[in-house]
Amino acid sequence: MYSADIRQPLVTGGKTYSDVTADICRPIENKPTSSWWVGFITGVVLLMVLAGTLAWTVWEGIGTWNTNKSVMWGWDITNFVFWVGIGHAGTLISAVLLLFRQKWRMSINRSAEAMTIFAVFCAAIFPLFHMGRVWLGFWPLPLPNAFGSLWVNFNSPLLWDVFAISTYLSVSLVFWYLGLIPDIATVRDRATTKARKFWYGFFAMGWNGSAKSWGRYEVVALILAGISTPLVLSVHTIVSMDFATSVIPGWHTTIFPPYFVAGAIFSGFGMVLTLLLIARHVMNYEAYITSEHLEAMCKVILLTGSVVGLAYITEFVIAAYSGYEYEQYAFANRMFGPYAWAYWTMMFCNLMAPQVFWFKWSRTTPWFIFVISIVVNIGMWFERFVIIVTSLHRDFLPSSWVMYHATWVEVGIFLGTFGLFFTCFFLFAKFLPVINMAEVKTILKDKE
Amino acid sequence: MSSNNYWKGVEELDQTQEFVTSNANEFSEGLPLEQVFSNDDATRANRRDFLKYFGFGLGAVTLAACNKTPIKKAIPYTEKPDNVTPGVPLYYASSSVSNNEGFPVLVKVREGRPIKFEPNKEATYFGGGLDGLGHSALLSLYDTNRLPGAMVAGKRKAQEWSKFDKEVVAALDKTATSGKSIAIITNGSTSLVTNQAIEDFKAKYSNTEVVSYEPITYSGIKRANKKSFGQAIIPAYNFDKAEVIVSFGADFLGTWISPIKFHSDYSKNRVPKDGKMSKHYQFESLMSLTGSNADVRVPMKMSNVSQHLIALYRELGGATPHQGMEVAGNNIKAAAKELEAAGSKGLVVCGSNNEADQLLVNAINMMLGAYGSTIDSTNYYKGQSADEADFTAFLVEAKAGKYGAVITIDANPVYSHPEAEAAFAKIPTRISTAITLDETSVEATHIATNLHPLENWDIKEPYKGRFVVSQPTISPVFNGRAVASSLVAWSGGKVADKDETTHAYKYTKAVFAKAIGGDFNKALELGVVENTSSSSVPSFNITGGAAAEALAQVKGAEKELILYQKVGVRDGAYGNTPWAHEMPDPVSKVTWDNYISISMPDAKAQDLETGDTVKLTTKSGDIELPVLVQPGQTKSTYGIALGYGRKLPEGVKNDLKDLGKNAYGLVDMSAGYADYTVGGIKIEKVPTTFKYEFGITQTHYSIEGRDIIREATLDEYNKDPMAGGHVHKPKMISLWDDYDYSKGHHWAMAIDLNSCTGCSACIVSCSIENNVPIVGRDEVRRRREMHWLRIDRYYSFEAPAKKDLSMSIVHGGDQTVEAGEQMTKEKVMEAYSAASENEATAYDYYENVRVAHQPMMCQHCDNAPCETVCPVLATTHSSEGLNQMTYNRCIGTKYCGNNCPYKVRRFNWFRYNENEKFDYHFSNDLGKMVINPDVTVRSRGVMEKCSFCVQRIQSTKLAAKRENRKMKTDEFTTACAQTCPSNAIVFGDLNDQSSEIAKLYANERSYHVLEELGVKPSVQYMTKIRNKK
Repeated sequence: MYSADIRQPLVTGGKTYSDVTADICRPIENKPTSSWWVGFITGVVLLMVLAGTLAWTVWEGIGTWNTNKSVMWGWDITNFVFWVGIGHAGTLISAVLLLFRQKWRMSINRSAEAMTIFAVFCAAIFPLFHMGRVWLGFWPLPLPNAFGSLWVNFNSPLLWDVFAISTYLSVSLVFWYLGLIPDIATVRDRATTKARKFWYGFFAMGWNGSAKSWGRYEVVALILAGISTPLVLSVHTIVSMDFATSVIPGWHTTIFPPYFVAGAIFSGFGMVLTLLLIARHVMNYEAYITSEHLEAMCKVILLTGSVVGLAYITEFVIAAYSGYEYEQYAFANRMFGPYAWAYWTMMFCNLMAPQVFWFKWSRTTPWFIFVISIVVNIGMWFERFVIIVTSLHRDFLPSSWVMYHATWVEVGIFLGTFGLFFTCFFLFAKFLPVINMAEVKTILKDKE
Repeated sequence: MSSNNYWKGVEELDQTQEFVTSNANEFSEGLPLEQVFSNDDATRANRRDFLKYFGFGLGAVTLAACNKTPIKKAIPYTEKPDNVTPGVPLYYASSSVSNNEGFPVLVKVREGRPIKFEPNKEATYFGGGLDGLGHSALLSLYDTNRLPGAMVAGKRKAQEWSKFDKEVVAALDKTATSGKSIAIITNGSTSLVTNQAIEDFKAKYSNTEVVSYEPITYSGIKRANKKSFGQAIIPAYNFDKAEVIVSFGADFLGTWISPIKFHSDYSKNRVPKDGKMSKHYQFESLMSLTGSNADVRVPMKMSNVSQHLIALYRELGGATPHQGMEVAGNNIKAAAKELEAAGSKGLVVCGSNNEADQLLVNAINMMLGAYGSTIDSTNYYKGQSADEADFTAFLVEAKAGKYGAVITIDANPVYSHPEAEAAFAKIPTRISTAITLDETSVEATHIATNLHPLENWDIKEPYKGRFVVSQPTISPVFNGRAVASSLVAWSGGKVADKDETTHAYKYTKAVFAKAIGGDFNKALELGVVENTSSSSVPSFNITGGAAAEALAQVKGAEKELILYQKVGVRDGAYGNTPWAHEMPDPVSKVTWDNYISISMPDAKAQDLETGDTVKLTTKSGDIELPVLVQPGQTKSTYGIALGYGRKLPEGVKNDLKDLGKNAYGLVDMSAGYADYTVGGIKIEKVPTTFKYEFGITQTHYSIEGRDIIREATLDEYNKDPMAGGHVHKPKMISLWDDYDYSKGHHWAMAIDLNSCTGCSACIVSCSIENNVPIVGRDEVRRRREMHWLRIDRYYSFEAPAKKDLSMSIVHGGDQTVEAGEQMTKEKVMEAYSAASENEATAYDYYENVRVAHQPMMCQHCDNAPCETVCPVLATTHSSEGLNQMTYNRCIGTKYCGNNCPYKVRRFNWFRYNENEKFDYHFSNDLGKMVINPDVTVRSRGVMEKCSFCVQRIQSTKLAAKRENRKMKTDEFTTACAQTCPSNAIVFGDLNDQSSEIAKLYANERSYHVLEELGVKPSVQYMTKIRNKK
């Protein structure tokens, strides 16, 4: 295959095929490092916080949160949209970039997909536990039942959410697992203990590496990528409809679907960068996750951040132009009302901060990227908070205008979901190959 | 042989003997029965299997036992009592519990339990409404802290009445022999029964003195009337006859004398008819409910009321000294002009308790010719007739040791009088008749526990010649005894222990025959007997000039404290009825607390904000309370509500305990009467770490210029009945077909903002009807009150001059406010004040706020935003236009609540029933008796909201169906509409063209709130018309 000399190699450090296998299987085959233990234990402690705060919520009632008669959704749905948004990068990287034949994705797609799945787990907690009667959480499923004409409401965006997210989660899981099979087989083949041989053998599903297997694998991967691609757009479109189809000024906006999708990709890449920068440093994977990768992702962040920023401004202009006093007030109130600090935090983090990526130094300096990726994560959390809380706290009738501040239970649940996320992620890093060995080997001699 | 040519085997072909026999059996090969029943190892459980089965069995049983089936007892009647049909309510005419003087009501009784007060619509004189406290007081019947029966000091245990009576009689006899007196302290009782029993008691104990005591008095009016025309009475005021009403600090719609009746009378002239409506001037210092409804409200210092009265008297042509200061700008002149024009249809009332002020008011009303028209001194008011001078005299003598015994009847002086406790301590025998351990009974030596008014017979006379008869609606919950029976027992009458109700009945009947006569049963049925005479004009023997002369020297205080009653809690007698405390104050919207209300200019000048703590010192004491900044309040006046700081029995928990501070000690008694306006006060800010947070239900006070409440002046309305309604709104095109309501019913509601005063009685009535939980102060602080119906209150003020304001972009950028423009935006109002050149008077505009009230409940939208978003169809639309909640189906996503533009949906954040934390009445067996069995008690995690009282619709429909007739629209109404003393709420069937609602829907003043959303609400509001230029 021809490749131009000016292009940078996709894997640096002169790695050989056996180096790749050895490097990537090392964490699986060796005892966990002390930094792994630190991360894992922190995750588990936070996971306990999650268990405790959720138990308290279910035991006492949602009254332990501070949501009230006007702001009935607060941190709960903010966190839900936040985590769903983060869950977007994985599928985008593995499916969309696969279709576009962006080979640089190969060394990051595995962990990005894992991140997606764990983020969707975290997200799913919120719509479930924000229900007043969580024990009836299966009622939004269109299950045949013995209650006669009792059925679900297909008009409700919450029902669409149920379908959108469960579809997304199942497709992502299958896609991720499919990609893992050849690598699991590699670990099986190198296994030195009985247990490892058995378990990896079990999950490798008899993969034998034959040309026929590979052929089928490629086809299925392509089909799944085809299925996943519209999901990248649909999930957050539907999540945005929770708000867009309502009558509340600040929610009732047709711009939401594209704006939410852009925001989701933006936040997803932010989180991927955060994780990869840690993983690359801790696991010495600089050769695989090169500064080329970082740069490419920074560019995506710059683009989507600007799209989101444009949406913010468009929304404001449309409100001003609408001649509709409730809409005008809702947006003016965001900028200058009691939650202005949240609005300006969002504006700074999402619109202004990513603009530094116009400069190459910013795109290639890992510690700086790490800082910005955290800023992006914070900004995108605030975006959802601003949309949900500032719209609800002052809507039509001024008599119902209220303020809302979270309780320790709500904060605890949010921190706890990070516990769930990191616990899952550290287990993944220990027991599964973090980088797709099979695919990386195909680009070892390749250039961008 | 059969036609079957096939054979199963050679045996069949051969037809062997063996085959033939076995073929005759059902199972040709036989069953392995021996094997099953034999004891061989294959089936016998060995030790391991035994343990397995045993373990499984134990586990299964344990699991099954985990799910404890709740035991619910339902005991059927073995003999069905007459008239009691389970599921069918009975209504008894009775008297409101919280109105001591007697106020006719109906008591709704289900299966022997009184569950709600409803207005007695037959008693038209009283207006056919009820107030919030009247509804709340029902809980006093189901108070777990009620005393079990007769008790003596030390042993707080119920004992037998016969034994108890002996002890009491011995103590009373000892008093008589030692030459001391017995005092009976009543609440100025209008009860004919109790008064007769006191007479009987006096017959035996001639050394008895009766002292009337009430925490709040109107002695100024009584004394003035005594001087003016020789009758020490409070007259009956007929606001329905008044075309011009001028009130000086009298909160006659909220707390003054008899507000429920005044409400209905007042509202009769408040809806424009033939181009006319009454005109109401209110001069006052605090922002009262009455003031909030006035056409012209003028800030006044209550300590300056005399000067205002003199000015009015002078304007009306009375001869007065000329040194009267200039007051209230042109308003006195304008009021005088209108009063003169109205003549006998004018009415001046005054909230001052000073005799001299009331003398001048009398003179003014006399000049107008109000007596015999708007004031009736013949069929006068008999309630609240206590004069504090009597009680003061009693205290002095009690301290001197004159009394050997004291009997308190429906009075609690130790709570509301600062000196009562010391005086009572000097009386050796203290007999209380309270039903709970209140401040007075806790110090009593004997407690002859009374029956609750709902368990008792009584005849009261609130107005001369108007009697209110009440009867028991429940058999006594505890072993109490009627006060009348106790008094009779002590005076030697026979009151059989087992037969006391019968005694009370016979006694009441005898009193009825003696005092009224006629058919007792008929009186019981109607609840009211009217036997009035035509109103005559009293002859005056004192002139206004003299009264004015006497007042001319009175100087207003520099700073004054006004002690007032809150509409919900009143004098504090029903401190243990949580509904009254959870009802937001109609003006301040604060629940649960009392506070020092201060004016905006004072707050700015003294750097105080709502929630700061302040120490207020008067001559008679001091009090530390948090501050609430109240728009509309006059500069240099400070308000504190009485009725708080009750020392309730130990069993009382939650927010009811230690609620607020008792301000009765600050009432100024120095001039020989109870003056609720106290001068010479000092204010100090007390440094605190945190600001006090009120449980307040509405935190934003302005309407932000939104088309939510429409207003017009009377002139505009007379020119154009649509005035105020010409608002440019986009034409809505609906993507959906409208609902078809042409068949059956189409329920709707109309609310007249002109009649609605914001009194909040509907809130409590709705809560009781629909089992709405009480959540307590802390939950209200978190903005989680559960009321299905709320009353929104908005302030605005008129700009006296043009100003250019520089505003932030959120408030529309730079703005020019024209002179005379009504400012309705909070920030604009603040900026307008801040832009003043004179800092000292910058915030004085806030003295002159205009108020609007708007009841808000579920609007039952046709295109309801809540219905489309529920994922499980828990909220749906009925074929009759109702927006229905199915609690069982609700999973609590709260999406409906978010998507409601009116924010009327309420969520059960906690399990409010069966919860220690919310132990208001749902959590104990006694309190649960008040629950309306027709309405589900909602569980935790479900949404709820106004249902248009669907249970009432349903029961009326069923009744009509049983009787095989068409349901009449005006046959029933919702709980809010039913209790409204001013008839502001009308509910009915739009499909019935003859119904009132159909007529109101055609009215030009009608509009829907937020109709531009296209949600098509079923509640219609009617433009508020103000009678001013």
